Amino acid sequence: MTSTLTRRGLAGLALALLPVAAAHADTLGDIRKAGKVRIAIDLAIPPFGMTDDKMQPAGSDVDTARLLAQDLGVKLEIVTTTGPTRIPMLQTNKADLVVSTLSITPDRAKVIDFSVPYADHPSVVASLKSVPLSSYADLAGKKVAVVRATTQDTDLTREAKGAQLVRYEDDATMALAFASGQVDILATARSLLPAISKKNPARTLESRIVMQTFYLAVGLRKNEPALKGWVDGWVKTNLQNGKLGAIYKKYHGIDIDPAQLLKAGG
Amino acid sequence: MNYQFDFSFLAERWPDFVAGAWLTIQLTVVSIALGFLLGTVCAMGRAYGGPVLRRVVGFYVELIRNTPLLVQIFVVYFGLSSLGLKLSAETSAVIALAVNMGAYTTEIMRAGIVSIQRTQLEAADCLGLTRLQAIVHVVLLPAMERVYPALSSQFVLLMLASSITSQISAEELTATANNVQSDTYRSFEVYIVVAVVYLALSALYRAAFWAIGLGLFARKRRLGTSL
Repeated sequence: MTSTLTRRGLAGLALALLPVAAAHADTLGDIRKAGKVRIAIDLAIPPFGMTDDKMQPAGSDVDTARLLAQDLGVKLEIVTTTGPTRIPMLQTNKADLVVSTLSITPDRAKVIDFSVPYADHPSVVASLKSVPLSSYADLAGKKVAVVRATTQDTDLTREAKGAQLVRYEDDATMALAFASGQVDILATARSLLPAISKKNPARTLESRIVMQTFYLAVGLRKNEPALKGWVDGWVKTNLQNGKLGAIYKKYHGIDIDPAQLLKAGG
Repeated sequence: MNYQFDFSFLAERWPDFVAGAWLTIQLTVVSIALGFLLGTVCAMGRAYGGPVLRRVVGFYVELIRNTPLLVQIFVVYFGLSSLGLKLSAETSAVIALAVNMGAYTTEIMRAGIVSIQRTQLEAADCLGLTRLQAIVHVVLLPAMERVYPALSSQFVLLMLASSITSQISAEELTATANNVQSDTYRSFEVYIVVAVVYLALSALYRAAFWAIGLGLFARKRRLGTSL
């Protein structure tokens, strides 16, 4: 009698635990239950993430996150982050998703998952008008500003051996370093050049070397098939209906090519 | 809690940490020395100077002690550069840290200097000490001995505060940690390593200041008691 009870009890316990264990890796379920999605966004990288003149979060990543939360039917909680802390935010469960100019790279794919890309993002080496450049070799012995832990940082460290890399923590600091004359060359996203040039009309940037084109995707923790499936589907739908293209155009003034992005996403 | 610690990056990246720690040491030793000199001169000015000099020093001390160090560093690095004076990140860091150190040293040293009684100076006069001898042996050294524990704490605090110079691209210990963290994604482990290195540096600095103190203060060395 006792043993039957114990056995039943154990079976019941196991049954009770099963869904809990399964639900634990189901961030999508957790998001729906909580009624809010926590999305990490860097608000110091205009025009992707910034604070507008009414001190509200704005930018293409912010609008993308808002659209995502709205379609998911939950409230959006923006978790502000910085370039180097985007991935740790996911790993330490401080955010459910990252929508923050996160480009897909093999190194990053080892630790997190990516959705289908929602935008593209060419990165360039740009310099002052009076500083001509045509190849990485021309960078030898020159100070080149980058934001730490970005793909530009990794690429230049590898490709431009002779260059003296000056690393800043975010785009705003790097832009200030250029505007104030600390550096004449920087490696960054092409989309940023107009904003940086606007800071000091006496010092405008010209794009010199196209480093590579990145695909920006929503970052999520590994082993989240339900969430990944939903986000992939959402990105595809909104690329096709032009909503994501409209957000990009509004902030960057350039069109994105949905067909190319869908192809890159498989 | 099922976090897998992985310190394997140390095998490859330890020279980076050594280089970062070395730059931290260089930056802070120079700023401590310059800041101490600046602060001692200002403290003399504040204790013995005329009303104008006292006001000027007081303004400097209040300005620096009531604004964030990060803002001071940005003003030196970006501000001076906008005015056409281009300084490297390391030079800017040393200037900002020394000016900051100077303000705190001023107040600490002033406390020591005002604790020296006037009669001590009169005694020095009677013994025929020159003005300079009296300042060095009767005022400054005993004043410093009295406030030495507070001074060495402030020096160690400055060493720890130097971590924020990574913001203006000085490649010191914290900047190294940020670099390694961004390459390896082992953020937790990297910052544990850096915390241990800072702890070791603090211990090293305290030991060094203790040894310097023994050298400077004969009373402490011979009798084991301070003033």
